[in-house]
Amino acid sequence: MDFLSILLPHLINGIALGLLFALIALGFTLIVSVMEVINLAHGSLFALGAYFAMVIIDPNLQNAGPIGEWYLQLPHIARYFIALILAPALVAVVGFVLEICLRRTYGKKKEYGLLLTFGAALVIEESIRLTWGPVEQVLSVPAQFSGAFLMDGMIYSTYRIYAAIFGVIAIVLVWLFLDRTPYGAIIKAGAHDSEMVRALGINLPRLQLLVFGFGAALAAVAGFILTPIWGLRPHVGIDAVIPAFLIIVLGGIGSFWGAVLGGLLVGLTVGLTGAFASDWSLLSMYLLLIAVLTFRARGLLGKKTALEA
Amino acid sequence: MLTAKTKAPLTTPQMLTFFAVLLTYPLWAQAVGLYEYLGIEIAIFILYALGFNLLFGYTGLPSFGHGAFLGAGAYAYGLMQVHLGAGLLPGLVASIIAGAIASAIVALFLSHRRGIYFALMTIAFGQIFWFLAIKVRGVTGGEDGLLNIFRPTLNFGFFEISLKPNIALYYFVAFVLVLVTLLLWRLVHSPFGMAIQAIRMNEMRARFVGYRVWLIKWSVFTLSGAIAGLAGGLFSLAQESAYPDVMSLHASGLVVMMTLIGGGFVSFWGPVVGVIFYYLARDLLGASTEAWLLWYGLLFMAVMMFSPEGIAGAWGRLVRRLRKSPAAEKPIGEAAE
Repeated sequence: MDFLSILLPHLINGIALGLLFALIALGFTLIVSVMEVINLAHGSLFALGAYFAMVIIDPNLQNAGPIGEWYLQLPHIARYFIALILAPALVAVVGFVLEICLRRTYGKKKEYGLLLTFGAALVIEESIRLTWGPVEQVLSVPAQFSGAFLMDGMIYSTYRIYAAIFGVIAIVLVWLFLDRTPYGAIIKAGAHDSEMVRALGINLPRLQLLVFGFGAALAAVAGFILTPIWGLRPHVGIDAVIPAFLIIVLGGIGSFWGAVLGGLLVGLTVGLTGAFASDWSLLSMYLLLIAVLTFRARGLLGKKTALEA
Repeated sequence: MLTAKTKAPLTTPQMLTFFAVLLTYPLWAQAVGLYEYLGIEIAIFILYALGFNLLFGYTGLPSFGHGAFLGAGAYAYGLMQVHLGAGLLPGLVASIIAGAIASAIVALFLSHRRGIYFALMTIAFGQIFWFLAIKVRGVTGGEDGLLNIFRPTLNFGFFEISLKPNIALYYFVAFVLVLVTLLLWRLVHSPFGMAIQAIRMNEMRARFVGYRVWLIKWSVFTLSGAIAGLAGGLFSLAQESAYPDVMSLHASGLVVMMTLIGGGFVSFWGPVVGVIFYYLARDLLGASTEAWLLWYGLLFMAVMMFSPEGIAGAWGRLVRRLRKSPAAEKPIGEAAE
């Protein structure tokens, strides 16, 4: 068996992880570019999305009457896709609330917004702990996506391949939305120069509200797909938000393809080092970041922004 | 404005009040329902937060990985005691040096960075140290940490004091805290202190005036890390153990929170107020509800929304309103402290 075929499952793991990291990072970078807020609660929104999805897939509807019974009769995969739509939508609503709180910090020191979201992260994480308990929960995956198969003597996890495909579809959809629709054009203009966008008669507060909700929903989608791999704990968000930070900085703040490239790099680094030295795989992504930033101060595809001042 | 402040008073009413509260704490703590050990921890964290605010409030550099240096100091002290059986003072000197070396290395990478890149790099470095502390089990004891670091005796040659009782340890920590407070107070009112505030206000102008900005940033970071190391050494002295929890992103974020909620941006004493507030909130809220972090988080969000200058800022506003002076809010260095 040659070296490459041993590596292949790890490569696929890495790519799946990287694409989903990129998805988290995209929501994060949208929020940073339009509102100039580092959203430390992004990981908590990721976790919240997964918990909401868990409840929607397997709700506790023993005494909910005929509608509840009808819902539980639905095939698992149908409930899974309902959750895929509904959970991010609910998290977007939480994002709306957070953005409304954040409004008071706009135009002040950048640290205030950042720390407000740190407080929000504490609040969301504690709320999760109080509602669902501190123990690890399971987000059940339909039988169609779970399991494993053998190819050339190597075991591949079906779910990871599904996750990778899902990541590609989600990223392409986000790109189409940003690059091919008038809403995307407004968002990009808002990231470039929000004052000018307002002067042109666009409702800037509404734009900011929607962008924050959209970013939060992307985090929730990533949580929905990633937590069956990672397990569902109240503090799972921190495992997601840190790579997302690193990816943004690695790829360059405000750059779409930078986030995707950074995501894939981090995913592959973690995946491949995980194959050979699993204890140290998380360390590799920090070393990657420091190596890149030492030579390219603004990341791989970054440009100078107002955020550095 | 700045030149007028170079002749700073040796002491101020605030400083004397702080020292008085610090030194009399064991006398009235029990009467108001507090306990001596809490005082030790508060004093250590005030030390930590004051050093942190040198970087955060004065130089305007947000570090989200400061727990790494606290941890480095804690492990250095612990290793000295466990393996070498060194005395108290060599242990604490080692913890200062460990904090300084760790932060000096990190600062080499950071001193040319600003804003969001600076913040994110500190997160990355903080995580690396935390990760190493958990993974290098042979040295650090992994997730359990170093245990059985017994409190030594303080030997003056002609007499000895055992630091085993909390009261003795409290006064030792309080003494160190007074020394560091005086040192930092002098430092922020020295030319060096003026220079770091100039960097906060406008880094580019400071460079044009002729300051070697990266060197100043490097030395502030290192000094701040050394103080964090000292706090770490004291912390493992108090806890009789050293463990990686204090190095997590969560713990590093808490010190930023404490500093800010007290008003580190507007006052030298902001971190002091913030640390006391945090510990009192933890004990009072924690006694009545298990979800105290939820309430603390909500409170913190409210502070950020309605009074982001923290408690010290709100106090300053109140004082100005009472005196009916129309002066606008000013950051540290310009405002009366």
